[in-house]
Amino acid sequence: MEVGAHIFDLLPAYALGALDEADAELVASHLASCYLCRTELGSFQAVVEVLPLAVPEASPPPALKSRLMNQMQSLRAPKPVRVQPARPPLLQRLLPIWGFASLLLIVVLTASNLLLWRQVNNREVFTGPLGMRAIALNNNVEAAPRGSGFVLISADGEEGALVVDALPELDPSLQYQVWLIRDGQSLRGPAFTVDETGYRGARIEAPESLLSYSEIAVTIEPVEGDDPSPTGEQVLGGSLHNQ
Amino acid sequence: MRNPAADDVALIERMAKGHSEALSELYDRHNRLIFSVALAIVGDRATAEEITLDVFVLVWQRAGTYHPDRSKVSTWLTAITRHHAIDILRRLDSRADSKSVSWDHVQPEAKHNPYEVEESVELSLQRERIQAAISQLPAEQQEALALAFFGGYTHQQISERLNQSLGTVKTRIRLAMHKLRHLLQDVEESSINKSE
Repeated sequence: MEVGAHIFDLLPAYALGALDEADAELVASHLASCYLCRTELGSFQAVVEVLPLAVPEASPPPALKSRLMNQMQSLRAPKPVRVQPARPPLLQRLLPIWGFASLLLIVVLTASNLLLWRQVNNREVFTGPLGMRAIALNNNVEAAPRGSGFVLISADGEEGALVVDALPELDPSLQYQVWLIRDGQSLRGPAFTVDETGYRGARIEAPESLLSYSEIAVTIEPVEGDDPSPTGEQVLGGSLHNQ
Repeated sequence: MRNPAADDVALIERMAKGHSEALSELYDRHNRLIFSVALAIVGDRATAEEITLDVFVLVWQRAGTYHPDRSKVSTWLTAITRHHAIDILRRLDSRADSKSVSWDHVQPEAKHNPYEVEESVELSLQRERIQAAISQLPAEQQEALALAFFGGYTHQQISERLNQSLGTVKTRIRLAMHKLRHLLQDVEESSINKSE
């Protein structure tokens, strides 16, 4: 695709989820920085949203409701307050990030201009004057339609930070989970929630250089889950390598 | 006059606070829609029942993540249903073959639920408009659209299943979606306005 060209022809199939992975990634990347295409996509998503009404009606058996309500009795009600006995408060956990992230942001902001930020939005890796990298992530348009995020990685890959914006607030039983992926293996990164604006920053640490991982993903996982790999819906993701 | 969309939002808010009777009411309102969409995708009543249960449990667990400014509750429910049903089919590796996927393979039924009777006139009109719009598409466009919508197939997979070139499939889906957008413009606007 020509850089900067619109992708109108791909949008109807993207709204249906009928694009292959490579094209879908291309569209998601373009949408992150193109208001016109996002607007056009919205009109096709509206079509997809009403299509279920075209399905002829059918009724489940009456006993299904009893099954549901019985099942509900064994499920815990959503907790009004999040409980994390084994962890310090989220703010305290995230506090150290601000030193590193702020430094990175200051350096990047002072060294760059609007054009450079457009490059980041276009999911090109922006390399700062000290070799730091800022990598924009792709959002899942269904799980986080307005979500965005980028990863900042130091030149040696030893330190990293994730900053997200406009992610949906989650049920108290759920949290966002960062994963670092290499050779199909996932390493659990930090977990976080977002404020009412969907914003949050989190420091990323790993036993090896962050640059040795190929991808990063953010999924929605249960607060008390300890699966070694992602089980929930992915909201953000992207490659950590130069593109 | 009742505003069904606002009532739905209130139910979701109560569910987020742990009120199970709100789930019961939401089920009464939307079980037929959810079951119908699931059945249309998987083509099997027993599996559609399980999907319907899963969807309401998921909605109970995720009620706190719902944003009324982004979509109507019914839209949220049907999107969850469609994705979950397609996921199940992919896991089972048993997506219906192209001949069984269409827009009219489930027979309509009489309505029994008081909520549906109350909303049925408006809903029926919307349903008729959408079905009429789809019926205006050429058969080959309907077929490609049904494979994408019900089966979750990609362009490439549809091309292989229909033994048509990739370009032909892309064109059919693109033309179908453009025509539906044109024909359904006021249905979408009405749907959006009701959620406000």
